Amino acid sequence: MNPEAFLFWFLSIVTVSAGLAVVLLTNPIYAALSLAMTMVGVAAVFVTLNAYFLAGVQLIVYAGAVMVLFVMVLMLFDLKAEIQAFSRGNLSGFLKIGSVAMLGGLIIGAIVMSSNSLLGNNLPDLVVEADGSKQLGKLLFSKYLFGFEALGVLLMVVAVGAVALARSKGGTHAKH
Amino acid sequence: MGTDVFQIAVNCIKLVIVFLLMVQAVPLLVWLERRGSAFIQNRFGPNRVGPLGLLQLLADAVKFLFKEEFVPANAVKFLYYAAPVAALVPATLAFAAIPLSTPVSVDAFEMFGQTWGPYTFLWQGYEINVGIVYVLGVSSLAAYSILMAGWGSGNKFSLMGALRASSQIISYELALGLSIVGVIMMYGTFNLTEMIAQQQGTLSFQFLGHTITSSWLPNWGIFYQPLGALIFFAATFAESNRLPFDLAEGEAELVAGFHVEYGGFKMLLFFIGEYGHMLVASALMATFFFGGWGIPFVGVAEVQAWAATVVGAGTSASLLTGLVHFMVFTLKLAIFLWIFIHVRWTLPRFRYDQLMELGWKTMLPWALFNTVLTSIIFLIAHS
Repeated sequence: MNPEAFLFWFLSIVTVSAGLAVVLLTNPIYAALSLAMTMVGVAAVFVTLNAYFLAGVQLIVYAGAVMVLFVMVLMLFDLKAEIQAFSRGNLSGFLKIGSVAMLGGLIIGAIVMSSNSLLGNNLPDLVVEADGSKQLGKLLFSKYLFGFEALGVLLMVVAVGAVALARSKGGTHAKH
Repeated sequence: MGTDVFQIAVNCIKLVIVFLLMVQAVPLLVWLERRGSAFIQNRFGPNRVGPLGLLQLLADAVKFLFKEEFVPANAVKFLYYAAPVAALVPATLAFAAIPLSTPVSVDAFEMFGQTWGPYTFLWQGYEINVGIVYVLGVSSLAAYSILMAGWGSGNKFSLMGALRASSQIISYELALGLSIVGVIMMYGTFNLTEMIAQQQGTLSFQFLGHTITSSWLPNWGIFYQPLGALIFFAATFAESNRLPFDLAEGEAELVAGFHVEYGGFKMLLFFIGEYGHMLVASALMATFFFGGWGIPFVGVAEVQAWAATVVGAGTSASLLTGLVHFMVFTLKLAIFLWIFIHVRWTLPRFRYDQLMELGWKTMLPWALFNTVLTSIIFLIAHS
């Protein structure tokens, strides 16, 4: 096994197990810490792909974002009630099964759809020079502008949805 | 890492040396801090162990090593032990990416009956093309060690300190990141080495088709980005949790904040992390705004010519040139570190609401203003 393959497998195992820990651990604190670990792992994988700019941005944006999450968890949650809410109840069980099914569908779909285009050799040469942040910026603001903006809107929706969910009935800090 | 055994070996040794450089600077800085504070407060400070008290820190380190090893009853063991190590890592990783001097070119030479080709070694742990992004990204991980310590200690004071520290770091990271956007626009690169290269010589820039030059001012970033430099320096104080921003420790309210429950060498590791962040901040300050390893009024070529007359041309001249520039860089570092220490013993601590107000209502808008102003000026100047 050459060093690059070893590094890739090592980082993948760390990242995937940290990602699993986010989902499987019932304590929100450890889940948040594992999320941070996942982000660092993904950044390291970017480094092995010579995408240094993306790795740095990954660290800055997501490490900071997870930090906010962490503070939220510490300050706003009643931890004991939260652990129970995460690990008990019929509704959450159904939600879990549903999410797993959706994720499974996504993965299978991604594999089926990408096996033709990504794994085949009929792709145009998309590789720009190593860590070409300039090309990246130009591509984002010209060719992929729509996707970029749509992603922004999506994130906005997620933020609003998170607040709405947190304040609706049944949450640990619901409106009384 | 390199193409052959020699290059790989040298690069690995270099990584170790850069790490030791940072760790070895800490006892000196602590000594400077204690003697400096004593000087400011009109007392003696540690002056018994060794000449000028210089060996005091060695004695302290030995004492720290022999302290009793304990874990608080309520502590989460894994986080409690992991936090001091996590405090050390980000500063080390960030410092290794900062160019400390001019590259050393080694001519081809014979060793073990083999010719080893010409090499070029950089005076830094590793070069990264997007240096700024990397350094900022890595050092933003430092907050996790504080949170881990605060949560893992199982102590309410620790947790309060950790919460304060994390919200402070989040707030000031925005101003920190925005304050150097102007710098990035000005140099047009993320690469720290290229930034330093652009700051050599005397002040000269293009404006509306005219070339404006100064006869004596060096071409340093501070003359283009004074506001950015000010905001950046203030934000680095908050990032490294130093006074006047050390609300996370606030002895009067929180005993010692996130490291209340730490003793012995674990506590010393937090110390090393804090001083490491000071070092990184000073190095970035020198790199962005004060010409990095550049000597004002003297070019690299002149130093090289002088070195060639002293030790003869070739490898040794290149090495001597690197050494001279490294000394200059160290001098610049020392000046900023002394400012860090001087501010700590001069200014009182902020109140918490004042801290947040300064971060969100003063520094963030001014950093945004600086960014917008820089881009407008660039648009005009290059039209």
